[in-house]
Amino acid sequence: MARIIVVTSGKGGVGKTTSSAAIGLGLALKGNKVVLIDFDIGLRNLDLIMGCERRVVYDFVNVINGEATLNQALIKDKRVSSLSILPASQTRDKDALNKENVGKVLEELGKSFDFIICDSPAGIEAGAMMALYYADEAVVTTNPEVSSVRDSDRILGMLASRSRRAELGLEPIKEHLLLTRYSPKRVEEGEMLSVEDVEDILSIPLLGVIPESQAVLKASNAGEPVILDTMSDAGQAYQDVIDRLLGETVDFRFLVAEKKGIFSRMFGG
Amino acid sequence: MADASIEFKGSSFTLSVLYLKTLNLADIRADLAKKIAQAPDFFYLVPIVVNIEMLNSSVESSFESTTDNSIDYHAIKTLVEAFNFTFVGFTGSLAKEQRQLIRELGFSFVNTARASTAEKQTFAKQAVTAQTETQTMVPQQPLFTDKIHRGQIRSGQQVYAKGQNLVVIGSVSAGAEVIADGNIHVYGSLRGRAIAGAKGHHHAQIYCQNLEAELVSINGNYWLSESMEQHWSSPVYIHLNDSELMSSKLI
Repeated sequence: MARIIVVTSGKGGVGKTTSSAAIGLGLALKGNKVVLIDFDIGLRNLDLIMGCERRVVYDFVNVINGEATLNQALIKDKRVSSLSILPASQTRDKDALNKENVGKVLEELGKSFDFIICDSPAGIEAGAMMALYYADEAVVTTNPEVSSVRDSDRILGMLASRSRRAELGLEPIKEHLLLTRYSPKRVEEGEMLSVEDVEDILSIPLLGVIPESQAVLKASNAGEPVILDTMSDAGQAYQDVIDRLLGETVDFRFLVAEKKGIFSRMFGG
Repeated sequence: MADASIEFKGSSFTLSVLYLKTLNLADIRADLAKKIAQAPDFFYLVPIVVNIEMLNSSVESSFESTTDNSIDYHAIKTLVEAFNFTFVGFTGSLAKEQRQLIRELGFSFVNTARASTAEKQTFAKQAVTAQTETQTMVPQQPLFTDKIHRGQIRSGQQVYAKGQNLVVIGSVSAGAEVIADGNIHVYGSLRGRAIAGAKGHHHAQIYCQNLEAELVSINGNYWLSESMEQHWSSPVYIHLNDSELMSSKLI
């Protein structure tokens, strides 16, 4: 059985697509068969982050409408052959999806993949509900900032009440907290919520803390998921996330501000 | 056309009857206070009928010869209500004139089953009126049962314990709302809104392990966060003192 993981947040711009790309690629690099689905119909982004935007012929909506087969629409990643991407349509809107057909597509994908990663659109409307409906697990992406935490809380409420698992009374969706754009320095200065603050408010298990990093923007623009940048702290933090998703216990890193040594201070390290 | 929205029916109720033995209001007040102190919850908002037949003899035997009018019906009602009873009306084997007087003063006279058949017939009509009044005046059962919610109540969610107390085993997030006709207990942080005694219950209280609420309200009296500074982020219960909210530390 494939694990269906939705990457969601409520609020926009917190790093859902960046995280989806990193998690998808990271899991594939570990030898898993992974498919990444872009549920953000009309605001197609995942293909850009994955660097496959020029190879999109058919999309998710074409598959839903029976205009293309899954094999025609799936784009194989050039770096890792066990990773495929199902891009969103740029020309349609979110109403193009319906529960029944999405269910059929996910069932079909479940036969040949180990992980199905659903990149949710922002908001709490139909598109976001569709992305989380069939999920087994949810990666709730949150910035250490009050409005993002509030929106994540709202989405957690939806996960517990509006998903298929909730409707059928099955075991609830497994929730993971992914804190992104974390800046220990600003936490110390009291400008940002700390990991403990966010954990206290949301009270779900912490999956990872991704530090605020220049590498993320660079990676997005280059279409190379940041997890490939193994030198960067963000890339390493995502690597830890993958290990935790696969059941390993890994210590949390990048939670305290780095003390600048005398040399780096002198040479502007 | 039939009356679809209403229907009149006769029903019998067991009501508490308060027998007054003296006209001295101060004595009554003292004795009532003593009695209620033994079981305040039991008497809270209990509908009550006041029996005044024993007062007549005390009026007659008193040296100052006075008439029945000397029973201060209004004062009795006010006194009884001051102890949080729900006043229903007067009762007792009374002369026709006195019953008439009671009704003219705007109170209902509740016929007892002991009244003679002849009297029953005479008052059949009024009894129905009185009983109907009783029906409408019987308030919500003050002894609430508990509605228990396990787990966190998230932003955007609302939980209402209708006619019950609400017990939340978990936190109430900012942007969430918990409402109860009785008390609210939050075994976690209260960050959202809590509305206790929603249908008018003066003695409703709100208990929480950590008070960081957006709003708390009891029986329509509310506080916003800024009024909670005194006990912010601590285990607290909130109660109503007259019409002022008060917060006190739990531990």
